[in-house]
Amino acid sequence: MSDAETGTVDSDDAIGAEAGSRRARKAARSAVGARVAIRRFVAAVDPLRFAGVALFVLVWQGLAALLSPIRLPPPLAVMKRLATDFLDAPSLSYYGVANPNLYANLLYTAENVVLAVVIGAVIGVLAGLTSARFRLVRAAIDPVMMTAGTVPILVAAPFLLIWFGVGRLSAVCLVIFYVTVILYLFARRAANNINPIYEEFARTLGATERQIVFDLLTPATVPEILGGLRIALAGAWGLEAVSELLGSQEGVGKVLEVLAGATDSEGIIANLLLLGLVAVIFDAVAGSAIARLTGWNAGLRSEWN
Amino acid sequence: MPANVNSRMIELAHVGRSFRRADGATVNAIDDVSFVIPEGQFVCFVGASGCGKSTLLQMLAGLLEPSQGDVVVGDKAVTGPGPDRGVVFQKDSVFPWMRVIDNVEYGLKCRGAPAAERREIARTYLRHVGLPRVERAWPRELSGGMLKRVAIATVFANGGRVLMLDEPFGALDYVTRRQLQDVLLNLWNADGVGTRRTVIFVTHDVDEALSLADRVMVFRAGVKVDDIPVAVARPRTTDSLLLPEMVEIKRTLLRHLGLDHQVGVDEAAP
Repeated sequence: MSDAETGTVDSDDAIGAEAGSRRARKAARSAVGARVAIRRFVAAVDPLRFAGVALFVLVWQGLAALLSPIRLPPPLAVMKRLATDFLDAPSLSYYGVANPNLYANLLYTAENVVLAVVIGAVIGVLAGLTSARFRLVRAAIDPVMMTAGTVPILVAAPFLLIWFGVGRLSAVCLVIFYVTVILYLFARRAANNINPIYEEFARTLGATERQIVFDLLTPATVPEILGGLRIALAGAWGLEAVSELLGSQEGVGKVLEVLAGATDSEGIIANLLLLGLVAVIFDAVAGSAIARLTGWNAGLRSEWN
Repeated sequence: MPANVNSRMIELAHVGRSFRRADGATVNAIDDVSFVIPEGQFVCFVGASGCGKSTLLQMLAGLLEPSQGDVVVGDKAVTGPGPDRGVVFQKDSVFPWMRVIDNVEYGLKCRGAPAAERREIARTYLRHVGLPRVERAWPRELSGGMLKRVAIATVFANGGRVLMLDEPFGALDYVTRRQLQDVLLNLWNADGVGTRRTVIFVTHDVDEALSLADRVMVFRAGVKVDDIPVAVARPRTTDSLLLPEMVEIKRTLLRHLGLDHQVGVDEAAP
């Protein structure tokens, strides 16, 4: 296709034609790029998914017509409420929420989630990989992590409140705890799943211990660890919100607690929608990052896209 | 033999390897094996599966320690794996997370070869194995035969003077297998007499051994039972396998494998 277009430009002297054909080729390439982008967008935004959302809204509207607005407010009212409360929700200030709007509280929750996921992931992955590789480390860490993995995380909340008081630290620690356990299990399993033939091959090629860790253990475990990170991220949102319900002065959880106290169904649903939306966006970003990082692994690629 | 060629490139003296079975009994996978292989020789290890030929190869590669005896390669006792001894495994060992060209140059990179130099070497060997156009491909995009070609290119590019191949073409179809035998022989030949690498090729295919080898060692139940020179001139063709001396060696090999009755040799099985 680009050949045909360059053909129409080649008419002037050689240098002009050369420059012209280069321009035409560039234009053709960007046209192709745009078309590919559009096709990708259409493929990504599945019309069937829209149908699902539309059905959900319809059912909601129908139920709202039957019930009183206190039990179930109609979708449009919730959307309006979301739009106004996002930047300014003066009603919240009566109840002692530090920032009377949704975005500042959402930001507070998101900060805690990101902080906790990063710290928890670093601890969990390092512990998991070393545990898979060294028997002594495994003997020390494994029983603790396995026990921690079977205990419902929220059981730890009272202890965290005793140790760190109500506030940011308790909530973040709870989420760190959760993320660490999940990523420990994923990292350890990923390291154990590596076919030993790769390490044997690397050693016969002359790789040192260090090179085996960086060139083999790390890339080979990345896909499974990122899969675990995605699961941990999804859980972290919920856990952070719940821990804020238990006693915090800020955050989406605190706002939900206040609105629940005032039986403000409209506000609660608006808040939940916002939280869900942000979690979905985070998940989509994580998914595309995973696809980009693990191009060598066809199975994962198709799973994430 | 030229003077600069090591006449004792590989030397095994009374090597044994035993394993402890789950029921506590000790099994001798390799029992008192000794041989000397001069540099540049192409040797095939032949034997039924479970005869210990892969165990022997793993000890030569340094991936397994012998229970008794000494393994010496290039005048040095083998204490672990090293780039002086390349191994092509039976299963696919090409790293799926590296592109083809990065796989081929990985060993050189490990030892700090300059980027441009190792890329040049990797390209040369990819061309030799017939894969000039896939250097940016991911291994998952290649067929089983192509992956074997990448593994061979990797091992040759790494520059080891001893190459070991453990039933490398066992899982491939007949046509691919014949093509890869040619690829391997051409690479081995390309170095020229006197600078050729020493090759140990494990196989259970008698015809494959006869087409490739200068010398065939036969193993049964962990013991070396025969050591036969194959003095037929190269390049060998399909017709070479019909030469009287080849047929005679083939009979001997089949007898060792317990298959003599199938070729009509009326001697009692040993």
